[in-house]
Amino acid sequence: MFGEDDLVRQHKSRADVIGNILILCFVIILARLWYLQIYQGELFYKFSLENRLRKEVIKAPRGMIFSRNSQMLIHNIPRFDAVIIPQYLKNKNVTLKRLSKVLEMSEEDIKGILKKNRGQARYRAVTIKKNITLKEVSVIETENSKMPGVRVQTFISREYRDGNVGAHLLGYISEINQRQLPKYRKRDSYDYKLGDFIGQAGIEEKFDLDLRGDDGYEFVEVDARGRMRRNLRSSVLFAGIENKEATPGNNIRLTIDRDMQLSAFKALEKKVGSAVAVDINTGEILAMVSRPAFDPTKFSRGLTKEYWDSLITNELNPLRDRTIQEHYPPGSTFKAITAIAALEEGIVKPDQELKCGPTFRLGRRVFHDWKRGGHGPTDVYKSLRRSVDVYFYQIATQLDIDKLAEYARMFGLGEKTGIPLSRETSGLIPTKEWKLKRSGEEWQLGETVSCVIGQSYVLTTPLQLAMAYAAIANGGILYRPHLIKEIFTNNGEIIKKFEPEVVSKATVDEKNLQAIRKGLYQVANHPRGTAFWYKGFGLQMAGKTGTAQVRSMTSKELFSKCEEMPYKDRNHGLFVGYAPFDNPQVAVAAVVEHGCHGSSAAVPVVRDVLTTYMKKYDAETFAKNEKKEKEEYYSFIRKRTAARKKAQEEAEAKKEADESSEEDAEE
Amino acid sequence: MNRSAIVDFFKKYDFTFFGISIAIFIMGVFNLYSATHASSSSAMADLFKVQSGWFALSLVIGFGISFINPKTFFRYSYLFYIVNVILLVLVLVLGHKGMGAQRWILLGPIRLQPSEITKIAVILVLGRWYSKSYPDRELGFKELIIPAIIVMIPTILIVMEPDLGTGLLVMLIFLVVSFYRRLKWKMIGILAVMALVSGGVMYKFGLKEYQRKRIITFLNPGADARGSGYNAIQSKIAIGSGQFAGKGFLKSSQASLNYLPENHTDFVFSIFNEEHGFIGSLILISLYMILFFRYIWLAQSVPRMFDSVVAIGIMSLFFWHTFVNMGMVMGLMPIVGLPLPLMSYGGSSLVTFGICTGVATSISNARNLF
Repeated sequence: MFGEDDLVRQHKSRADVIGNILILCFVIILARLWYLQIYQGELFYKFSLENRLRKEVIKAPRGMIFSRNSQMLIHNIPRFDAVIIPQYLKNKNVTLKRLSKVLEMSEEDIKGILKKNRGQARYRAVTIKKNITLKEVSVIETENSKMPGVRVQTFISREYRDGNVGAHLLGYISEINQRQLPKYRKRDSYDYKLGDFIGQAGIEEKFDLDLRGDDGYEFVEVDARGRMRRNLRSSVLFAGIENKEATPGNNIRLTIDRDMQLSAFKALEKKVGSAVAVDINTGEILAMVSRPAFDPTKFSRGLTKEYWDSLITNELNPLRDRTIQEHYPPGSTFKAITAIAALEEGIVKPDQELKCGPTFRLGRRVFHDWKRGGHGPTDVYKSLRRSVDVYFYQIATQLDIDKLAEYARMFGLGEKTGIPLSRETSGLIPTKEWKLKRSGEEWQLGETVSCVIGQSYVLTTPLQLAMAYAAIANGGILYRPHLIKEIFTNNGEIIKKFEPEVVSKATVDEKNLQAIRKGLYQVANHPRGTAFWYKGFGLQMAGKTGTAQVRSMTSKELFSKCEEMPYKDRNHGLFVGYAPFDNPQVAVAAVVEHGCHGSSAAVPVVRDVLTTYMKKYDAETFAKNEKKEKEEYYSFIRKRTAARKKAQEEAEAKKEADESSEEDAEE
Repeated sequence: MNRSAIVDFFKKYDFTFFGISIAIFIMGVFNLYSATHASSSSAMADLFKVQSGWFALSLVIGFGISFINPKTFFRYSYLFYIVNVILLVLVLVLGHKGMGAQRWILLGPIRLQPSEITKIAVILVLGRWYSKSYPDRELGFKELIIPAIIVMIPTILIVMEPDLGTGLLVMLIFLVVSFYRRLKWKMIGILAVMALVSGGVMYKFGLKEYQRKRIITFLNPGADARGSGYNAIQSKIAIGSGQFAGKGFLKSSQASLNYLPENHTDFVFSIFNEEHGFIGSLILISLYMILFFRYIWLAQSVPRMFDSVVAIGIMSLFFWHTFVNMGMVMGLMPIVGLPLPLMSYGGSSLVTFGICTGVATSISNARNLF
């Protein structure tokens, strides 16, 4: 056996080998250093001092967005920024003075901007003025040698063809901010940098990854003043470096119809509100506008502080998308749902008449009808046509609120529709459990009485109303709002295609739906219908008006003139309609905030959008119906005038007769 | 102990390991100052002070350890190893995330990085196994099974964190130590083939995206979209521009212009070369070589097999760190993020090297003290 000492000695040969390997590595490192520092040292030295190798990012053009008919809604155009690269800035005072003259801004401002960006790497460009004019570009380029460190950066600006129209839907892009940076890096596992533009709202936000594309880069050699010298493609020294071309982002085709979008926006002019149009048979969104709006182009061009301030200090909140981010009491538009529930649950039959006086008493509480005199005997058609509150109050006593909620949910109310846009609100359909959870109190029957006419806790978004009425029109099929038709590359190759998606089918008897649809038809086409006077001609429209109270009112206020109340207290006007009645194509919901009446404020909006649709897609039917409706209308007017005249004559005749009989008596 | 005994002790005390380490550290801390002094953030500019504090701490720890009898290391090596494996599991279960990987656990104010400890634990446990299991035989396949299992357990845990660099390093230490313990040449050939094959498989299936990117970057610096290839090129410019004599202290343009990211950790050697040139590097690398050969000398002059294997293990730890880091900044190897011993900024690596130096000194002293 060996002693421990001998054991160690046994390994001497291996220790020697290790020593030799060490020497070999030593030689390799020194050889490499020799190669870099002595053999190529001068070249590298030159590069490190006078010349800078710079990696220039080539921004990928962002994808474009088209309407359903391939009309361009968003496109890209080049613009220019004046920037300073601090590393190359020389004769600071002289240069800045010169630059301030060119850009017509004060030296202090420029210094302030530089100071603010002192923390970042000195070779990074600091933007001094965004979106400079072509004249400024040419001055900077020609006087380049006198202003070392100042450069013009080309940029692609994103322009929104129709400006404010559909701004909420399309969204906008702006620079990623400090707060978003870590969050988005994690979310997309993509190395965002400050200065990168990302979609911040609407489709721009939701489909950012599809639209963005992939930035490229090229290596360029620049001199000490930051000017580009030559492309490094052929350089021997940097063999192995390859430039990468930018891959443009993918384009999106929407389901939106540009003409309908424009007409909806125009119809809402000088109003605060929104409108949504949806294809009844596919769930495709045809128009979706909200007013007041903003100009998304101003965001992608570099937002000015003034414009941003004007947006966020505006009480009407132009940045809010009122079609999905705002919810309102649906008012009488909700009566269609209540009526469906009442028929389905067998509380009333379609032809069954209820006695409807001016008020309804529940215990000590008195509920008023909107019409002071009451409506008299009312069946379900009249209840919709005349929007008879007392009819629904009576139903409320027999209709469990949870049952009503069940029907409301069947038509998609109180739940997010799942439209691919951010910050959608779900609205609210109250239940007993919800109330208990919220306030710890039991549900009151009086609350049901308010809920059946779409007041109290009930809240819906305009989009939900449009989807619900589309389902009423198509026999109960609730679609998912369908906004994106397809995503395709610059070469026209389709990457993703989206198909209509059915959320659920309402379990409702078709006969009952027919009765409701008949009532909705009368709303617009019966001379006593609430929408009759604003319906236009040629649509064969069905629908329901609604007037939503903003706050609870005393009975005196209830009957005072809405237009005379303070703006904030005025009722919202709503209308949800679809057309044509016998072959439903499109449903439109419109909400006009503080518009006082559904009929006068909201019906014209829906009418205009539907008219645009019919004229564009089914002009023949439209012309035929227009003729028919006009004939009906004028014959009705003639009859009414004749009847009035006759009544007047009769009254006069009677008066005369009375007078003569009086005379007789006197005699 | 009386006065003459203390003097006697310090006459026999081996100061070479600490001495060379301190010399390298001094060059390192000046270099660190140069790399960070131009930084706009004061936290960065003060890093050299923090580094000095860590070094002082690691000296105290290392010096303390140098007074422990090497037999104690031998006795507790298995226990130390088991505790380390438990800590590695804990990191995976409740570790704190940093840079996409979880590498440390918090013990009160101390941020413990168990993968650092693994390096030492594996060296000690291999020393014990190789000195007790038929130390007179050559290592064949059979003899390699158990040590391989011992090494693989912590390695797999480390790679799962994921910390590929440290995992690879532990394997490399295992390789050197086994080679020293007379691994059969035939086995070396087989292992080389296995490494090539498993490397290919790992690359295809076992690597995370960023790890794969680093390797691609190394093979083709232009292929990376977001700039690691750019770093490799800037690093080469920094080194090359130093030429023979360097630009001089604090004159590095690549560092002060923030061309190099991580210039206080991974890329310190580039800055050093830019400022001190070929001649400066020759001196620095020579210091490292003297240190390494002192370890090899130590391995052959100790009476016990355990001490000998541990000395080689520590040498290989230092060596791989140095060689991989230098190779990476010079464009000879992919960027794996191993610090340069005693030069790169980083508290935990300084403490690790301090402990190793203490162990080596203890082994050296044991030749004539214990």
